[in-house]
Amino acid sequence: MNGRERVRKALRHEETDRPPIDLGSTPVTGIAASTYYRVRKALGLGEHPVTIGEPFQILADVEEPVRCALGVDTIGIWNPTNMFGFRNEGWKPWTLPDGTPGLVPRDFQVDVDERGDTLIYPKGDRTAKPSGRLPRGGYYFDSIVRQDPIDESRLDPRDWAEQFEPFSDEDLRYFEDTSTRLYKDTDYALVGNFWQGGIGDIAHVPGPGLTHPRGLRDPNLWYEYLLTHTDYIQGIFDIQADVALQNLELYRQVMGDRIEVLVMSGTDFGGQQRPLCSPRLFDLLWKPLYKKLNDWVHRNTPWKVLFHSCGAVAPLLDAFVEAGVDILNPVQCSAAGMDPATLKAKHGDRLVFWGGGVDTQKTLPFGTVDEVRAEVRERVRVFGTGGGFVFNTVHNIQARTPTENVLAMYEEVRAAAA
Amino acid sequence: MKDVLDSLKKAIEEGQAKDAAKAVQAALDGGAEPGAILREVMVPAMDEVGRRYECGDYFLPEMLISARAMKEALALLRPRLVATDVKPAGTVVAGTVKGDLHDIGKNLVCMMLEGAGFEVRDLGCDVAPEKFVDAVKTGGVSLLALSALLTTTLPNMKVTIEQLKSAGLREKVGVMVGGAPVTDKLATDIGADGYAEDATGAVALARRLVGVSA
Repeated sequence: MNGRERVRKALRHEETDRPPIDLGSTPVTGIAASTYYRVRKALGLGEHPVTIGEPFQILADVEEPVRCALGVDTIGIWNPTNMFGFRNEGWKPWTLPDGTPGLVPRDFQVDVDERGDTLIYPKGDRTAKPSGRLPRGGYYFDSIVRQDPIDESRLDPRDWAEQFEPFSDEDLRYFEDTSTRLYKDTDYALVGNFWQGGIGDIAHVPGPGLTHPRGLRDPNLWYEYLLTHTDYIQGIFDIQADVALQNLELYRQVMGDRIEVLVMSGTDFGGQQRPLCSPRLFDLLWKPLYKKLNDWVHRNTPWKVLFHSCGAVAPLLDAFVEAGVDILNPVQCSAAGMDPATLKAKHGDRLVFWGGGVDTQKTLPFGTVDEVRAEVRERVRVFGTGGGFVFNTVHNIQARTPTENVLAMYEEVRAAAA
Repeated sequence: MKDVLDSLKKAIEEGQAKDAAKAVQAALDGGAEPGAILREVMVPAMDEVGRRYECGDYFLPEMLISARAMKEALALLRPRLVATDVKPAGTVVAGTVKGDLHDIGKNLVCMMLEGAGFEVRDLGCDVAPEKFVDAVKTGGVSLLALSALLTTTLPNMKVTIEQLKSAGLREKVGVMVGGAPVTDKLATDIGADGYAEDATGAVALARRLVGVSA
C-alpha cells in the first residue's frame, strides 16, 4: 500500500496496514531545522545545510531521502510566499543561532541588534521596521507588534484589506505545476496549504509579512476587541472570508482533485486549560464563515478540510464538525479535556485525528526513549483503531528534541504494521 | 453611595472600563475611603471575575476586558491609596523568561494580581535571569512570578531560580511559575514554591505564598 492509498483510507475512516505518517507537509506538522539536521545525520543522509522553507518557526524542508527513511506518506504544496511576505527562492547560507548550517531565501534580510537578537524585515525590505525577532539563544522568530496609535472613532476594517489578496497568476502557475508534478511523479498524499480560511488567526494579527500593517495589530488588544469592538472584528472577518472564497475557486481550478487535504484554518481556539473564547462567541463570529467556506469545498471538490487549533478545544469540537471540519490537528492531548480515548469515542466517527501521536511539550523533548515508544504505541492503538488517524506529533518537533527519541518514534509507528 | 459602589463593582465584573473609571471617580468625589473602595468593592469584583472564569462562564476575552476596567479604575485610585498609605497585599516581580517573547498569559496574570491588591513590577518578556535577580535585589519584593510558553525556554526557569540561589536571595522571595508547558511536577523539580495553571490560580497561589486571605 502506498502513501496516497494509506492516507485516503485513513481519511475514509478505514483501517490501514499501519497509520499513515505525516512529517513536514504543513508548517504545523514539521520539524525544527536544528533537530532535522541531527536526525538526517543519524540516518546517514548527509550533513549539508538545511533548507528553511518556513523561516518564522525555522522549520526544515523535509527531503525525499528522509521521507523515505522515516516512512512518510504525505507531501505538502506550500505557498510560494512565506509568513514574512517574501518568496521562497534564491537560497543563500544562514547559520542558526545554535550553529546549524541553513539555507534561507534571498529576501531573508536580518540584522543583529545590541542585545544579540536577530531582527527580520518584512518582504525583505530594509526600509521597513523589522517585523520579527529571534531572541538571542532562541529557536523561533516571534512577531514584533507594530501598532500605530488607534483612533477608535476611525476604525475601519478595510485597513486590513491588503492582508487578504487574490492569488497572483504566478502563484496559480506554481500550484498547478507543483501539484501536477507531485501527483504524477510520487505516491504521496498531497496536502494543499491553503490556510486562508484561518479567520482572525492570532499569528497573523501583527501582520509579519506587511511592510506597514494598519488597523488593530496588538494581539493583547485583539482579544479585548472581540468583545468591545465586535462590529470592527466582524468587518475584518467578512473581508477575509470573501477573499478566501474567491481564492478557493482559483485553487480548485489549478489543483483539481490532485490534493487529498485542504488546510483551511490555523486559528488557535484553545489554551492549555480551556478554549480561548466561549462557544457562544465562536458560534457568533466564526462558525457561519467557516461553514460557508467548508461547505463550498465539499460542494465543489473531493478534498477533506483540515483545521489546526492547538489547545483544549474539546468543548468546540461539535461546532467544528457542524461547520464542516473533517480533520483536526494537532490534537493536543496534554490540554484539558483532550484525553485520546475520550476524543476517539466521542468524535472519532466524524473527525479524523491528524496528530496527537506523541506529546511535544514533555514526552518527546524530555522523556526517555522507552517513554516515547510507550506513548506512541498507546496513541496508535487508541487513535488508529477503525482508521481516521494520521500519525503526527502534537505540532512541530521542537528544537533540542533528542535525536534518538525522534527515531524511536518513527520506528514504533512503522512497527505497528507488523 | 451604595449605588455608586454597586455600579463600580458591576462595571469591573462586566468589563466596562469607561463606566468603571466614572464610578470610581464618583466614589472618591463622594468621600468614600480609597482603601475601602479597593478592599470592599474592586478586589471582590475581580474575585467574582475569577470565579466566573473558573466555572466556565468567562473566557480569555472577558477576563481581559474586566482586567482593563480594573486597571483604569486603579489608575484613578492609586494616587489616593498612596496618599492614605494603604499598603499592597505584596510586591510581585513578574516576567517571561529568557528567550521567550510570549506575554499574553503573563500580562493577564499581572493584571489579575494587581486586581487582587498586589503591586506588580512587570519586567516584560525575554527577561534574563540576572535581570530577575537584580529586581529582587532592590528589596521589598515578596514574590517572583516566572512565565514560559515554549518548551525550549522552560530550562531558563530553572536557571533563574539557580541564579537567585547563588545570589543568596532564594529564601527572601516566593517563586511561582506558570505557562503552557509548565506543570506542578516541573515546579517542584526546579525548586519553585508553586505552580498555577491560570491567572485566577495565580492569584490564589500568590495570596497563599504571602499569607493573605481572599
